[in-house]
Amino acid sequence: MTTIAAGPPRVAGLDRAESLPLVNERVVLCYFVASFTFFIIALLAGLAYSLTFLQSYPFAGIEWLSPGRVRMLHTNGLAYGFIANAFLGGLHWAVPRLTLRSVLSDKLSWLIFVVWQLIVLSTAVGLLAGEAQAVEWGETPVWIDPVAVLGLLLVGANMLTPVIRFKGPMYVSLWYFIAALVWTALTYTMGNFFPQYWIGGTASGAIIGLFIHDLVGLFVTPIGWGLMYYFVPIILKKPIWSHGLSLVGFWGLAFFYPLNGIHHFLYTPIPMFLQHGAILATIAVELVVTTVIVNFFATLRGSGDALRTNLPIRWFYVGMVFYFTTCLQCAFQVTLTFQRIIHFSDWVVGHAHLVMFGVFGFWILGMMTYLFPRLVGASGWYSAKLNSWHFWLSAIGMLVMVLDLTMAGLVQGFAWDALMIWEETLRASTPFWLVRTYAGGAMILAQFLFLYNMVKTASMGRNGAAVSGGIVSGGKIDV
Amino acid sequence: MKKRKGARIVVVTMTIFIVVAGLYGFGSKLEEFVRAMSDENRAPGGEFVFIPVLNYFLASIGFVFLFIWAALNGMFRDIEKPKYDMLERERRLDAEAGAPWE
Repeated sequence: MTTIAAGPPRVAGLDRAESLPLVNERVVLCYFVASFTFFIIALLAGLAYSLTFLQSYPFAGIEWLSPGRVRMLHTNGLAYGFIANAFLGGLHWAVPRLTLRSVLSDKLSWLIFVVWQLIVLSTAVGLLAGEAQAVEWGETPVWIDPVAVLGLLLVGANMLTPVIRFKGPMYVSLWYFIAALVWTALTYTMGNFFPQYWIGGTASGAIIGLFIHDLVGLFVTPIGWGLMYYFVPIILKKPIWSHGLSLVGFWGLAFFYPLNGIHHFLYTPIPMFLQHGAILATIAVELVVTTVIVNFFATLRGSGDALRTNLPIRWFYVGMVFYFTTCLQCAFQVTLTFQRIIHFSDWVVGHAHLVMFGVFGFWILGMMTYLFPRLVGASGWYSAKLNSWHFWLSAIGMLVMVLDLTMAGLVQGFAWDALMIWEETLRASTPFWLVRTYAGGAMILAQFLFLYNMVKTASMGRNGAAVSGGIVSGGKIDV
Repeated sequence: MKKRKGARIVVVTMTIFIVVAGLYGFGSKLEEFVRAMSDENRAPGGEFVFIPVLNYFLASIGFVFLFIWAALNGMFRDIEKPKYDMLERERRLDAEAGAPWE
């Protein structure tokens, strides 16, 4: 465990004098293992679901494995199993190191870990049993919702305590973490309780629209960027280009993002001022995103070789390029002109995959690539070549999938707009769906290679073996 | 000197353009909102007109207060300092842990 040695504080501005573990690395490791386990399950569910479109669904006739339920297993498994677990692990690493104060309680950390896994597992069982709640991305059965909110409040208490105790101007990552911890509980409550118990019809549509997008923008995005602002400078060993600009990005997100969600329901009976407001806010967010991207690429200036030599940095920056692409896409696709063509088409599916896998998945995999050997006590990865394969298969698979689904969306949209016969549009879509399945297969294969590498690295860590072709070279990680 | 004057003209023109466009956008949305709220034919209850806006203001008002608190507490006084402090803390932590990558 990383510790602060006994005696007087060693870091300026610190009043911590005890020798206590600063980061509970075992908790971080357990979160990563849980995250990767759910990742594999969710990806396999996605692969199975994609086969439905090719008339080859492997579980045909089995009610609890019907495609609709397996699709929800795919989406919820990724959101709450893969991303939430990995982010909780990342927060347990970054927050104490940024504040030099440990989380509120180690026991609470373990309790939250166990409860969160039970929540995700119960959600999976509930979804397969047909108990889904009628809220997109909030399909968690209603009886789990109160426990999930309680869990989020406990996470907030555990993580915000060191931040509140921290004295002096805060680094931008901490601003993002504060926002995410407050917003997530509020967003989850709004999306899962309001439409269920108090508001119906179109009104609930408006709330669900806010929930869907706020979950991405106010939970995943702030934690993701907070972690990037932490990991990129420490790996490059240079500060972020402009801390001031990073704060512009943060406050821009805080004020422009919350109204975006209704852009999911354009051309619906929701009042047009809300739809137009969402469109304007989405375009404004693109400007905010540009400041963030400029900041990170200006930081990379003079260290561009890291993209070649440092695998975590490559994961992070490719994810950022995908992030900019997806936000740029967003600024156009939320307009009524675009929506007329792409709504309900596979364009949207491609966009969602680019965000969840291409951006946040890439950042998480980069974070795991950087931290995993440290967490298992190994001095490096078992195989740099496998790591390289992991990256390239994931990146190429992702790129092919997004291009393929984007083209499929355009074909479908224009075909529907031209009132083409429905069966004809299905026939036209089939080649695209086949390519999507192969691209997904490549991405899944990549994760199995990474899994094998992790297992071998962990066993080497346990045995205290040295690593051949290790990751350490002049402060950078060789790939 | 000439260059600075040119830059100022660009900034002022852009500011006017953005503020006027922003005010027009906000004003017309406000007008639509008032019309939707006062429309007798709106859906019963009419919460859906109001609740998303209320949700936005609730989320934003918290951040307005947080922003004011941060400014008053000197969080933005030396705005670039935290990025150097963060790296220094990280360097010391890695050194104390005897990290092999150091």
